[in-house]
Amino acid sequence: MPCAPETLVEALERTARLRPQGGIAIFDNRGRHYQRHTYPQILERARAAGAQLAGLGAGRTEPVMLSLGTGWDLIDLWLGAVCIGALPVNIAPAMAMGTGSAQLKRLQDTAERLACRVLVGSEALRKTAAQPGFETLHRIAVSVADVRQTVAQPAAVRAHRARHDDTAFLQLTSGSTGLPKAVVIPHRAALHNTRAIDRGIGAPLGALASEVLACSVSWLPLNHDMGLVGGLIYALTHGHDLWLISPKTFLARPQVWLRELGRHGAALAPAPNFAYQTCVERVSADQLEGANLSLWRSALVGAEMVQPRTMRAFSERFAARGFDARALQPCYGLAESTLALAFDTRGAGVRTRTLAAGPGEPSEVVALGEPIIDTRIEIRAPDGRTMPPGEIGRVFAKGPSNFTGYYNDPAASAESLCDGWLDTGDLGFVHGGELYLTGRMKDLLIIRGQNIMPHELEWCAEAVTGSGGTTRSGAFSVQSADQGEQAVIVAEVSDPDPAQLGAISREIRVRVGRELGLPLADVMLVRRGALPKTTSGKVQRRELKTLYLDGRLERVQAATGGDAG
Amino acid sequence: MDKQQKTLAVIAEISGRAAAEIKPEMELTADLDIDSPKALRLLLQLEDEVGVEISDEQAAAMHTVGDILEHIGER
Repeated sequence: MPCAPETLVEALERTARLRPQGGIAIFDNRGRHYQRHTYPQILERARAAGAQLAGLGAGRTEPVMLSLGTGWDLIDLWLGAVCIGALPVNIAPAMAMGTGSAQLKRLQDTAERLACRVLVGSEALRKTAAQPGFETLHRIAVSVADVRQTVAQPAAVRAHRARHDDTAFLQLTSGSTGLPKAVVIPHRAALHNTRAIDRGIGAPLGALASEVLACSVSWLPLNHDMGLVGGLIYALTHGHDLWLISPKTFLARPQVWLRELGRHGAALAPAPNFAYQTCVERVSADQLEGANLSLWRSALVGAEMVQPRTMRAFSERFAARGFDARALQPCYGLAESTLALAFDTRGAGVRTRTLAAGPGEPSEVVALGEPIIDTRIEIRAPDGRTMPPGEIGRVFAKGPSNFTGYYNDPAASAESLCDGWLDTGDLGFVHGGELYLTGRMKDLLIIRGQNIMPHELEWCAEAVTGSGGTTRSGAFSVQSADQGEQAVIVAEVSDPDPAQLGAISREIRVRVGRELGLPLADVMLVRRGALPKTTSGKVQRRELKTLYLDGRLERVQAATGGDAG
Repeated sequence: MDKQQKTLAVIAEISGRAAAEIKPEMELTADLDIDSPKALRLLLQLEDEVGVEISDEQAAAMHTVGDILEHIGER
């Protein structure tokens, strides 16, 4: 009588036994052809990749960074690392136009924080890392071809026996301070969370999702928790078919995602609001002739604020193709709880409540549902006491899906995790047993589904405003009704020569545009010292945002005809 | 339409500006609000409509309208 799997590898072994015909398919760039492997094949490939990683020197309990796009190389190597007890950590490969150096910096910073000795990336990455300033990266970066050509050590795979509480993998996040950290996820948490996902998704359907749904169709990147856990790991542990589209393909051809959802039987898809909004903006019902969207039984929406406007527009547009608005299923979670913390279980589509709102606050908030199994959610005041239903406070959660800490960062771990309770950094309230989010305490921007750390924008601004660190800046996001979250930078300038201000403001926009591929809703220049700071000189971003929205910051004026920001 | 004009037309469509307003010195992100998702669409449409392929490496070095026009002009 087989026991329940205790580790991800055991779970994959079980899936390979019970669903030998099930598997994962990955579409090409045009979304026309796909390459599919069955679960038994995936297991075999994983073991082979693990043996090669071991041959390369990847060690047990050591991180292995994977900077690759969606594809079989990434999946093989991720699973291969798990097979030998190394800790895979996915990180985004380079984005599209003009964003080279920011990505290199991010990779190097992360590698140094994690004391990582192996990073698998593209050939181009290795070449680019040969420039001054990127010695660490140059030393540790290898290509997929390098890995494939390594003399394998299969013994490392055979000998490795993970345990329930061992670390399975790491997920990169910015945590509550906006600086990059790696969330440690043990096998126990990964297995618990995928079970919780199976029940959460299935609740409106009256059964476990994997019992009634045939497949999942996901375009989310595998360096994002919703894509990695909600897409890949959920499929590997539960055995339904997974159809993967790369984020690039989705952004270029969003209709491919919808088309596949109407094609392979009862389907589920995890996605941020941004995905639904993209479809509203770019896909007409006509383009989906032949697709039967009534098969799409669970349209999960999470990972960023759910916008009721988007949900309504999406439902109206695709009703013509059979999409049932009741399939929309809001959910909530974060990397620190592996992925999922709460799911809507009513199956009545998106439900909202109206609030009296201050500037920059949403007035219509979405019901995100109930906590997952074995998990408690509490709303707390700044002094730590629990708040009653209906009152807004910080969202805390405790359960078996929680992370065990940030890798190599006990101080940050202690800040976010206390007595098993995770401080999510989000703000919200509970009503009728369901969670609603109203905002975010943590310094994180989520723009079009992508997590962006404020310090990256601030570095760009301060490179322009200079002054040896005496002029500071603060970045945050503001919510607009139709555009979702947008980025704002407020930067101090010393000796503001009115003739220079226009150029300074423009230069900041150009830098942020080039380094991060991010347009800015506003660049506000202020006098030196105008930004609120702690006694140690750290910019208080949340307070800054409040001042900005309340109109209590004074913009320095440019000369006539110029733009001060 | 020659390739340069077609290119401007694609950039116009993606950025939501009139083709006549688009100048070579304009920054794709800072001036035309072209973020990463739009940049991907741009690359694909340039491939489909203008018939010019741009590799990831080449794209990483393109910051302005002029950078794109220069690349297109050589093909």
